[in-house]
Amino acid sequence: MAEEGRDALEPGVARPGSGLVARLHRSDVWRSMFRHPQLDTPRGRALQSFSNFFLHVYPVKIPARVLRIRYSFRLGYIAAVLFGILTITGVYLMFVYTPSPTVAYGDMQHLKTGVGFGQLVRNVHRWSAHLMVVVVFLHLVRVFYAGAYKKPREFNWVIGVVLLVSTLAFSFTGYLLPWDQLSYWAVTVGTNLVHYVPAFGSTFQDLLIGGDQIGPSTLLRFYALHVAVLPGVLTIMLGVHIWRVRKDGFAVERASAGAFAEEATNRPLPGAPAGFYGGRTRLLGVVDRESVTAEDRPVDDTVFTWPHLVARHVVVGLGVAAVVLGLGVAFAAPLRGLANPNVTPEPSKAPWYFAGLQELLSHFDPLVAGILVPTGAVLLLVLLPYLDRNPATEARNRKVAVLTFGGLAGIAVALTLVGTFFRGPGWRFVAPWTHLYLEL
Amino acid sequence: MRQTRRNFLLNGWKLGGALLISAAGYTAYEALRPLATGAGRGKVNLGEVKGLEDGTATYFPEGRLYAVKAKGDLFALSQKCPHLGCTVPFCETSGRFECPCHGSIFDIGGEWIEGPAPRGMDRYQLVVKGGTAVADTGTLEPGPDRGAKEYRSPPTGPSCIK
Repeated sequence: MAEEGRDALEPGVARPGSGLVARLHRSDVWRSMFRHPQLDTPRGRALQSFSNFFLHVYPVKIPARVLRIRYSFRLGYIAAVLFGILTITGVYLMFVYTPSPTVAYGDMQHLKTGVGFGQLVRNVHRWSAHLMVVVVFLHLVRVFYAGAYKKPREFNWVIGVVLLVSTLAFSFTGYLLPWDQLSYWAVTVGTNLVHYVPAFGSTFQDLLIGGDQIGPSTLLRFYALHVAVLPGVLTIMLGVHIWRVRKDGFAVERASAGAFAEEATNRPLPGAPAGFYGGRTRLLGVVDRESVTAEDRPVDDTVFTWPHLVARHVVVGLGVAAVVLGLGVAFAAPLRGLANPNVTPEPSKAPWYFAGLQELLSHFDPLVAGILVPTGAVLLLVLLPYLDRNPATEARNRKVAVLTFGGLAGIAVALTLVGTFFRGPGWRFVAPWTHLYLEL
Repeated sequence: MRQTRRNFLLNGWKLGGALLISAAGYTAYEALRPLATGAGRGKVNLGEVKGLEDGTATYFPEGRLYAVKAKGDLFALSQKCPHLGCTVPFCETSGRFECPCHGSIFDIGGEWIEGPAPRGMDRYQLVVKGGTAVADTGTLEPGPDRGAKEYRSPPTGPSCIK
């Protein structure tokens, strides 16, 4: 009796099937999990979003432009997918790995010889980590050039910078864990950069590595940071980051002035108190007595997230998984000899994303290159949306910002490339085509 | 502003929260700071002073240091490069300390010759008692400034890193 009643809710759409699957889908148990049938009608698509916890991260409808790949290149989403892959592969690795100098290296070898697909899991973890640093950086560049850090999204940009720093910290703490010569000396060089902080340098370095040199306590604290502290920080911050994107809406429409036009949202709703949420009210945020569907827009260019964006995200997610799996199959994560504090390999490079800093350090005073430049860079990134008050989002209307940012980003990339590819033993200049002193 | 009961209580909760956070922060500091009795913080016996030859370096793994005699003076040089913490080996052929990491070179007295290191090699305090030298690895002193050339002499042979 109840079965017919449910299907009658969508007359003419839900075919009353008679097969086993159809009967299952109509059963009380199934309906207790999925409260309504999947219907390919506007109402059915909206229901899909309303009744699914996981789809809650998306708006119900999005501007059609968001679907274009050129809108965002899906970089933020790809970074999130990589974080997911890193979490899953990381948990696999945790089952095998012991954070102790006497055991860790043996665990890495055991992973290779004694655990089915163990080396592949490690390769995928490593490649995903490298890619995540790259993708997060590209995401930052993309958001900058779109001007999407401007009002009202200033603070979300700041959270993005926190996520970038967390990503680097993640990669750096993970770098030490294999406890081979590569990781040992890269982290030695990396943590010694901290030493150049005026006055507090030694204290910071002590807190970071827990002694005069990288040792058991360093390994343990890097492990704890890598598997407990940073995942917590990144997950919470990523949640806030995505939530704010969701609340601020996608930065798409450009008015003639170049600023994001938010005509549909900037106008206070009738009846809402003036100055409520700064005069801005949001779809699904505050609902007037009128139904939300009654909100009028000049042209309705929106599409349902389910299935349009979700399907694209599934495809991109699978593509990312395929890429890191391919990289993992093709290139093994390096494992040099057991870490030996008494033998320094030549050259000793910091992890590649800090190689630019190391390069800078070979030209300038440590205080300038090791401290002022990186601190200044992070500070400048954090303050960018508050310093750049120009509302325009088109490049031709914000030449100063674009040129400054482009120049600085270019210098950073160039230094990183030189430090990574063009430096050999004794930090001497070596052309990469003669010999590549690079291990990822 | 008049202090109402509500305000007083609100500020009380804030103060309590701030205290809790500072306590958590201090606990984190206690958990992360190095133990007072870390490894390598003791006295290392470098043996008879007379046994050390001028212009040579003897490695003492237990103290991670080199005992060197340069122009009659005795030093206990830390093997950790003041640049970025690499281990600096002694190059027997050139008679100098040469770091393979980033190319810093120091003379037998630990003075900077070339490379990115900001100063000479750091050294431990030495006490000579009854002809026996003892280095105290608890007292690390920064190396001499880049200008120092007191112990510099031409290399005795080819460099190990060039």
